[in-house]
Amino acid sequence: MPQPTNATNEQRLHLAGAALLFGMAVLLAGLAYVQVVTSLEHEAEQKNQSRRTVRLPAVRGAILDVQGRPLAHDRPSYVIHTYLSELRHHFRKAWRDAPHDTRTEAGVRHRVIGDFIAQLQLDQPFILTERQLQKHFIEQLALPIPVMRDLSQTNVAWFMENAWRVPGMDVEAQPHRHYPSESVAHLVGRLRRPQSIPDEDHPYNYRLPDFTGAMGLERTFDETLRGSAGTKSLLVNNLGYRQREKIVVAPTPGNIVVLTLDLEIQEAAYKALEETGRKGAAAVVMNVQTGDIIALASLPVFDPNLFIPGIPSKLWNEYREARPSPLLFRATQERYPPGSIFKIISGLAALEAGSNPTNFVYNPGYAEVGRRRIDDTAPPGHYDFHEGFKHSSNTYFITRAIETGVESIITLGNQFFLREKTGLLARQEAKPQFPTLAEVQDRSNWQDGDTANLAIGQGPIAVTPLQMTVMTAAVANGGKVFSPRVVDRIMPVDPSRTHEAQQFPPAKVRGTLKVKSENLAHLQRAMLADVADDDGTGKRARIEGFAVCGKTGTAEVRNREGRHKITWFASYGPFEKPKYAVVVMVERGASGGLSCAPAAKKIYEALIARDNPNRIAGNR
Amino acid sequence: MKFIKQLIPWHRLDRMLLLCLAGLMAFGVLFVYSATYNNETYTGAHWLRMPHYKQIIFYGLGIGAAFVLCLRDYQQTARWANVFYWLSLIMLAAVLIPGIGSVRFGARRWFDLGVTQFQPSELAKVAVVLALAQFLSRPLKELKEPKVLLKALALAGVPFVLIFLEPDLGSALTLLPPALVMLYVAGAPRSFLRKLVGGCVIFVSLVLAYVFFMPKDWQPIQFPDYQKRRLMVYFNVDYASQYAGVGASQAEIRQARALQRQDSYNVVQAMISVGSGGLTGKGWKQGIQNAHGYLPRGVAHNDFIFSVIAEESGFAGSTLVILLYGGIIVAGIRTASQCRDRLGRLIAIGVVTLLFSHVFVNIGMNIRMVPVTGLPLPLLSSGGSSVVCSLMALGLLQNVRLYQRTI
Repeated sequence: MPQPTNATNEQRLHLAGAALLFGMAVLLAGLAYVQVVTSLEHEAEQKNQSRRTVRLPAVRGAILDVQGRPLAHDRPSYVIHTYLSELRHHFRKAWRDAPHDTRTEAGVRHRVIGDFIAQLQLDQPFILTERQLQKHFIEQLALPIPVMRDLSQTNVAWFMENAWRVPGMDVEAQPHRHYPSESVAHLVGRLRRPQSIPDEDHPYNYRLPDFTGAMGLERTFDETLRGSAGTKSLLVNNLGYRQREKIVVAPTPGNIVVLTLDLEIQEAAYKALEETGRKGAAAVVMNVQTGDIIALASLPVFDPNLFIPGIPSKLWNEYREARPSPLLFRATQERYPPGSIFKIISGLAALEAGSNPTNFVYNPGYAEVGRRRIDDTAPPGHYDFHEGFKHSSNTYFITRAIETGVESIITLGNQFFLREKTGLLARQEAKPQFPTLAEVQDRSNWQDGDTANLAIGQGPIAVTPLQMTVMTAAVANGGKVFSPRVVDRIMPVDPSRTHEAQQFPPAKVRGTLKVKSENLAHLQRAMLADVADDDGTGKRARIEGFAVCGKTGTAEVRNREGRHKITWFASYGPFEKPKYAVVVMVERGASGGLSCAPAAKKIYEALIARDNPNRIAGNR
Repeated sequence: MKFIKQLIPWHRLDRMLLLCLAGLMAFGVLFVYSATYNNETYTGAHWLRMPHYKQIIFYGLGIGAAFVLCLRDYQQTARWANVFYWLSLIMLAAVLIPGIGSVRFGARRWFDLGVTQFQPSELAKVAVVLALAQFLSRPLKELKEPKVLLKALALAGVPFVLIFLEPDLGSALTLLPPALVMLYVAGAPRSFLRKLVGGCVIFVSLVLAYVFFMPKDWQPIQFPDYQKRRLMVYFNVDYASQYAGVGASQAEIRQARALQRQDSYNVVQAMISVGSGGLTGKGWKQGIQNAHGYLPRGVAHNDFIFSVIAEESGFAGSTLVILLYGGIIVAGIRTASQCRDRLGRLIAIGVVTLLFSHVFVNIGMNIRMVPVTGLPLPLLSSGGSSVVCSLMALGLLQNVRLYQRTI
């Protein structure tokens, strides 16, 4: 064999070998590029196709009354979830067995789930419709589908025992907003499904049902009650079925809002209003020393529970169209003429203007102002301040108002902030109406007749029951006009974070009445007599051992619906050491003394019972 | 004991080759298991049907076959090369006859043996390497004669055409590198080789041009559509331009795009698997792509086993795999260069080139360097024919090492 050729062959072999190894090096370089250089891109692609993020709403914080009783809270609601991934074989099998001409995918799946539910023999209906199922398949395949909600305890127990019979089903507790008492519906408010998600721009694949406050404190404190949502990450397979899940960020539960309100008194007030037999009414109870609201009741009420998970449109329309409207918070949201309870102010204004309380005014049964006669329900006779107040004599107060001038009423009314909201509620407070000094001094517009009307709480004046409570409380406590408060504090749920609790300051004193104390004492004594004396108009509010002071009122209203009366009872007690102000307003009542005073009495009784638990039995 | 000692010259075994083989087989069992342990097809199946057990059995069979091949000197074995070659030609022809060959995925490539399937093209590749080595080991002078060279070409060409007809373009093409390298190493004239390589390049370009640019109605031979689509996926050609004409409606374009997504699905998912493995991988059995069905279950444990390995063991693992194959190639080149006779040398280089072309094409298609073809990754992919035939080929390599006349 010639040597040179062999040498060439040796060379060729080495070249070939080098080519092969070079090829392997190329592979290695390619792998390095894919697995190291561009690895993150591929990882992102993989996440994108196999991960689904789910927004987990936090448990909403509770709203509690002053005693810690829940007014609104999330309680567990038991839901049967079906994991579709685990039913796939059954779907496939049923699909094969189904008659080919009539079968639809949704129909077959629905029947499979329905059959399994039937095997569980629960005594609740299977509510899922084919359309809902199909929607879930298209939009949220990776999530389990709820097939039965609000399971009763019996059914939960039954399910636990029998769940092994059926594949892919599980019972889960979901937070469900609950409002134990309808009586606080207006104050606590209600929830609704959010139209847009305000809180984050995180691109979630799925969102679990979430609610936001639509009214009342639920709305005002929505942010703090809602907490912050968490994130769950699902791993899905190539068909989109769930394989595994992991909580990436746990939701932080919302804070608890504690009120100054006492549910016991609230319910008593609500019941007292109901027992008036009238359809529209309101009652406010306030601590006259602290300005804390103890009850804020309004009739008629709505049921906030019906808004979860969503109110049927028929029911919503009923609520909207019903008269009197159940959605209106009569304690703060509607303005009424105060009628005779305004004599508290016009009377005090007359005394302040120097009118002698012991001087008499003759009442012929009516008051004559210009050419107009105003009826007086008080029997004819001579009246001084005390008697005029007790009998609610229009003639007395009209005469005194015209004598001393309307300006004194306006000046005093301003000290009660009658033209401004109390600031208790963010969106549920109506702005009251009260003439300004400039208006009454414009003699071309303001006549004696107007002064006469204003003196008895008619004419250009409209107030809310809450405002009258603040007024009555100021009379009771010696002149402190409060900005009332109803929220005491905000607390985290987590007991280890109580230091983060936010305590609201005590109710602010908005202003102090610039009145002589003996005049105030005159007024207080007159209010006591109105209840305590047998001929007082407020005698039906009298309670043995608890000196209630009050003033009744009945205002005429003429509007499109015809003529009717707004009846009032503004009161506080006990006389010696005032503690509570109670104002009751009843629409279309008979009179303040007949419709409102008895309701106020029931509220005082509840307050007394609360403060002296031992006396309950003896008192009723 | 003495008997066993005398069977083969144990002390001359190529330890590097064996070590790399052992490493690859370990990888194979581990990752075939990982690729199939949660595959519904095998839940509750008899353990003999489980792919990883089958893999172990085939490793055993392959090692047995390789051992048998090592019992006699390769000079003697090579005398049977022609018999072996013709036998595989007959099988290649037989598998094309309906009723004998069975059809899977639209191609007639298998004999159904009941318990398992046998793919004759795998055997044919080894037979061609052996026959070509035997043929080319004739005196150098004769290799200058065009007649001899053409004969050598025919030796590789006939099985190429038969495999091509199955159709299995990928397998057929893997015959080209060993044939070329063996001709080159054997000492074929430079001018001839130049023409041959040039011819191949022209042929391939013509095929591509034909597939892509010739209007469908004018094509005298219709390529199987999937071949064309695979090439289109590889070259990232927009389906809409090929399948929906100029005035195509939106619906047609959407349909074409959907088809494109469907066709490129495997490659895209394989890329994601390999790439998301990163440096160290997600851990054995922790791969998401395979476990959750993104990598089609039908191919995860055979043609796309490398995706599973790369996702679960990362760049570290794939480097190790490359090194193990590289080790075998180095062992083969060393054997070839130490071997004094041309037969042994050609067998050695032919075997490693065959191995190389499989590895290159298979791993290459996982990272989109090479168009997708149904080609197994030797020793790692689950599949009896491939494993046994690869081990037989490596047995031939070992044989050369055992019996070569060194300097």
